[in-house]
Amino acid sequence: MNVLLFGPELYFLGAALIFFSLTLKRKVQVKADYRIALALAAGGVAVSVLCLFQQGELFFKAYKVDLFSQIFKFALALGFFLVITISHNLAQIEERYHAEFYLFLTTTTIGMMMLVSAVELLTIYVALELSSYSLYILVPLRRGDGIDVEAGIKYLFIGAVSSGFMLFGLSYIFGATHSTYLTEIMPKMAQLVQSPIGVLGLLFSLAGFFFKLSVFPFHFWAPDVYQGAANQVTTFIATASKAAAVAVLLRLVALGSSYGYNFTQVLVMLSIISMTLGNLVAIVQKDFKRMLAYSSIAHAGVFLMGVLTIKEAGYIGAVYYALAYLVMNFTVFMVLSEVAKDGRDLKIVELAGLWKRSPILGLSLILGIFALAGVPPSIGFTGKLLIFTSAMNQGYFWLVLIGAVNGTISLYYYLRVVYAAFFMDPGDLPPVTVSFPTRLLNYALVAIIIGFGVFPDQIVRLAQAAVKTVL
Amino acid sequence: MGSCDPVLLGCLLTVFLPLSAFALIMIFTWRYHKLSMAISLVASTIPLLIAWYFFFTLDVKQPIIYNFNWLVSDQVKVPFGFLLDPTSVLMFVIVATISWLVQIYSIGYMGGDPGFGRYYADLSLFALAMLGLVISSGLLQLYIFWELVGLASYLLIGFWYEKFSASEAGKKAFVVTRFGDIGFFMGLVFLTLYFGSLDIATVNSAALTAKMPPWLITTSALLIFCGIMGKSAQFPIHVWLPDAMEGPTPVSALLHSATMVAAGVFLLTRLFPLFAASATAMSVVLVISTITLLLSSTIGMVATDIKQVWAYSTVSQLGFMAMGLSAAGLAAGTLFPGYYHLTTHAAFKALLFLCSGVFIHHFGTNDFFVMATQGGRKLLIPMATITIAALALAGIFPFAGFFSKEAILGALAHLPNKMWLVLGLFGAFLTAYYAFRVIFVMLFPKEKYDKYHLETDPHAHAPAHSHGHGPGPGFTHDDAHIHPDAKPGHEHDESGHGAGHGHDEPHGVPWVMSFPLLVLAGFTLILGFCQGSLEKYLLGESAPHHIEYGLLVSAVSCAFGGIALAWFDWGRRGAKCVGFISYVPVLENFFIQKWYMDHFWRWFLNTFIYGIFSRAFTYNDRRVVDGGVDAVAFSTVGSGRLLSFIQTAFLQYNLLFMVLVLAGVGIYLLMGR
Repeated sequence: MNVLLFGPELYFLGAALIFFSLTLKRKVQVKADYRIALALAAGGVAVSVLCLFQQGELFFKAYKVDLFSQIFKFALALGFFLVITISHNLAQIEERYHAEFYLFLTTTTIGMMMLVSAVELLTIYVALELSSYSLYILVPLRRGDGIDVEAGIKYLFIGAVSSGFMLFGLSYIFGATHSTYLTEIMPKMAQLVQSPIGVLGLLFSLAGFFFKLSVFPFHFWAPDVYQGAANQVTTFIATASKAAAVAVLLRLVALGSSYGYNFTQVLVMLSIISMTLGNLVAIVQKDFKRMLAYSSIAHAGVFLMGVLTIKEAGYIGAVYYALAYLVMNFTVFMVLSEVAKDGRDLKIVELAGLWKRSPILGLSLILGIFALAGVPPSIGFTGKLLIFTSAMNQGYFWLVLIGAVNGTISLYYYLRVVYAAFFMDPGDLPPVTVSFPTRLLNYALVAIIIGFGVFPDQIVRLAQAAVKTVL
Repeated sequence: MGSCDPVLLGCLLTVFLPLSAFALIMIFTWRYHKLSMAISLVASTIPLLIAWYFFFTLDVKQPIIYNFNWLVSDQVKVPFGFLLDPTSVLMFVIVATISWLVQIYSIGYMGGDPGFGRYYADLSLFALAMLGLVISSGLLQLYIFWELVGLASYLLIGFWYEKFSASEAGKKAFVVTRFGDIGFFMGLVFLTLYFGSLDIATVNSAALTAKMPPWLITTSALLIFCGIMGKSAQFPIHVWLPDAMEGPTPVSALLHSATMVAAGVFLLTRLFPLFAASATAMSVVLVISTITLLLSSTIGMVATDIKQVWAYSTVSQLGFMAMGLSAAGLAAGTLFPGYYHLTTHAAFKALLFLCSGVFIHHFGTNDFFVMATQGGRKLLIPMATITIAALALAGIFPFAGFFSKEAILGALAHLPNKMWLVLGLFGAFLTAYYAFRVIFVMLFPKEKYDKYHLETDPHAHAPAHSHGHGPGPGFTHDDAHIHPDAKPGHEHDESGHGAGHGHDEPHGVPWVMSFPLLVLAGFTLILGFCQGSLEKYLLGESAPHHIEYGLLVSAVSCAFGGIALAWFDWGRRGAKCVGFISYVPVLENFFIQKWYMDHFWRWFLNTFIYGIFSRAFTYNDRRVVDGGVDAVAFSTVGSGRLLSFIQTAFLQYNLLFMVLVLAGVGIYLLMGR
């Protein structure tokens, strides 16, 4: 067994230990802790890059290291790093809990990293729960007036119910196939989905990931958690956690390329309902984070569209879009947490005149929003294009049509944000000062959103290579 | 078709040099006047050299064609290329030469204008568009450049955009020509649909060999003629050209007399085989061009603004060219007479405009009566050259106009119905009259011109420079350099040149302005004697000229009759200084009101466009489109509001909902298996 294959996870485990020791300190040193966290996060990105092209199996083949998993580990490490960069003022979290914040953020990252590599049912389940439990703690960490508690409870309960379903489903699959290894289950699935036990097992086991991805009907937690959690926590949930969920969903759904008509139909329906519901309800939201929560529900539908094709093209699209979504969603959340420096929940109208108050944030916001809306030439457009094209080629005409209509509907609320930031009078809202590192971050994000939108070839090729190891 | 082919390289340079000049000036150097001018001059001098080089050395008896695929989409291939044959090379030379001369002339005319750099950028854009139009190999490409020319025209007419009338005139020109271009485009669509190719050579040869059904030829020719009517200002959509005189005078010389408006006639010659194949289309062209000739000559008789006179003269001469072409088409003649007149007209009309520009620049007025009383004839070079040009316009031997008019009248004489010849002769008579009305007034000024001389005193232009530009650097006098640029048919409400033209002294004529005059005067003198060689160049052989003395005599007598009448009315000592037409006040008023064409269009617009179409479409827009969109938007928002009720704070309902949905899906899967 080559320990180095476990590199990123080990690194983050070590980081978790360091953070754990920080939590034990009696004297709170916010600044120093932050510096350590930033350094460790940056190191995490470096380690995950170094481990990008590793291959192998670990832990009695329950754990598979391939390009696919390593790309997502890189994405997770990047997401972690990005969240840390905007955590320099954790106004919403009490100072003595800052170290805990870092600790649990690290453990949830470890959980997700293991999740994307796990190819055995129990490992998947344990990894999922590891990441979920950390988030259950992180969500109510915000100091507040009870909204955090409500969000935390809601998150926990819905998570628990979907976990229950998932376990139930996994047990069916295990019962039917007498194996917990995906590689062994895979050949038997084609036959299994013909029987009730197989169908229900599959459906229920997907529930856990639908929950993470906030696909209808497991979406109820999203608005409350997005609003109730601290901005940084929400950012992590909205970016890294989604990427991990997409990764596992790709692995699981790839199990049975012969699901049969009905099962695909169910996925199509869930995708359509998620998109439509998310977009329609987002229109009436006034709180920026709540709006983004519904936008994430809508995006879950888009991801599902890429997944359900169970073809290489769709998977490439989904991987590309997961990476793109991480960047563009982060961009928007970064602007949000920069504008709401005191950690309050930002109303959309509070973005009024942002381009005057901080031109660079205005630029990032408009690009991030346009990328989310899928406006060319951003990465969001390219990702959507890849997914829609593959779905179209698979003959899901109506799904694509509804997706396109939904894209139009989504413009309504995305453009409301742009309208607020660029056309509304700032009134007496104060200017936003942006520190130099944040400025650099802004430039980098802008460059990525445009650059990889115009020249997506590299990423697509990487995604192609990654997907080959899954399908 | 190697990449180092010098001819191809020349064509590419011709198109890309002005393009890059335009881009360079507009993006970078428009602030630096001298630099912009230098860039533009370089980008127009090289095409000039290329043009003359092609003209003299290139053997284009067999057309040289370059085609590249520009857009390829399934079945549709849109080529982009160049076609060099005698027709295009001659026009190439005309355009490049006059464009270059006007750019030289503008150094003096536009000097000190705050928009100097922009002016040269626009001229470069025009050069790009016009040269590209001339050497296009396909009709779609030609159409694109055709529209670009229109854009350049719009920009240049409204160059002094601070002036309301100028920006209005720019808009009018653009919209009216676009109106014609709709027909043009439909013609192209027709050809594409039913013939399948827009390549000029293919279309022409198909028309020649009768590969196209007659109905297609007639329809497409008539539709394309709509575009020609717009661009070449033919009745009834000629109304934009007189207004276009709001632009700077060199622009009027270049675009609105010599080259751009001639693009319509050029297209007629370009597609001459197509037009000639349809007698119906040619008859329509003949009728319309004859009406245009007479209408605008009569208006030219009563205009008091010197540029208006030449503008209407341009319209009438364009009509005359079209007459020549259509007559030739009907009587199995060649395209030579019309094209020849286009060539000579380009020289002498540009000369007329540039001379007038000198006077306008010098006296700060457009009213030639005012110029006359202030001593216009003292400017020797422009006075001499304008007289030469007017002689050419009137068709007096030995100037160029004589030969080309003769050629057209010869073509008209071949028609079985001699009425057209008579009308053509009448047009020539009127032309001579209005041209020499201007000349005699300028040469032999009288003390007072009560009838036409409007009560404006050029020295009382106190508010003349209140147009938002600060006075130019050397500005000291209020009196000089005010371009009245009167809206036609209105009082001469003076407005500034649009520029703080700053000169201290009423200057003599700078050489940059007189040099182009002399060159053009030279062309006007020699072009007439090039008839034979030009014909040989264009047609490959020179038809033997048997001179019809009857025709010659009548034409010359018409011209001299017109001049004599002008002398009687305006020139001689003790002349009454009222046109003969004022003895018929009804007719005179009719002409002064420009045949009520502006009124007609105003009425037409108000009644039909605004009254019916606009109303209906606005209603449709408000109620159906907006209403529909609003309904969709409201119902979308409403459904969002409705759906948001699912999101309750009651956790147990949420969980119940989740379980129920999942159970439902499970049941569906089990049942539907």
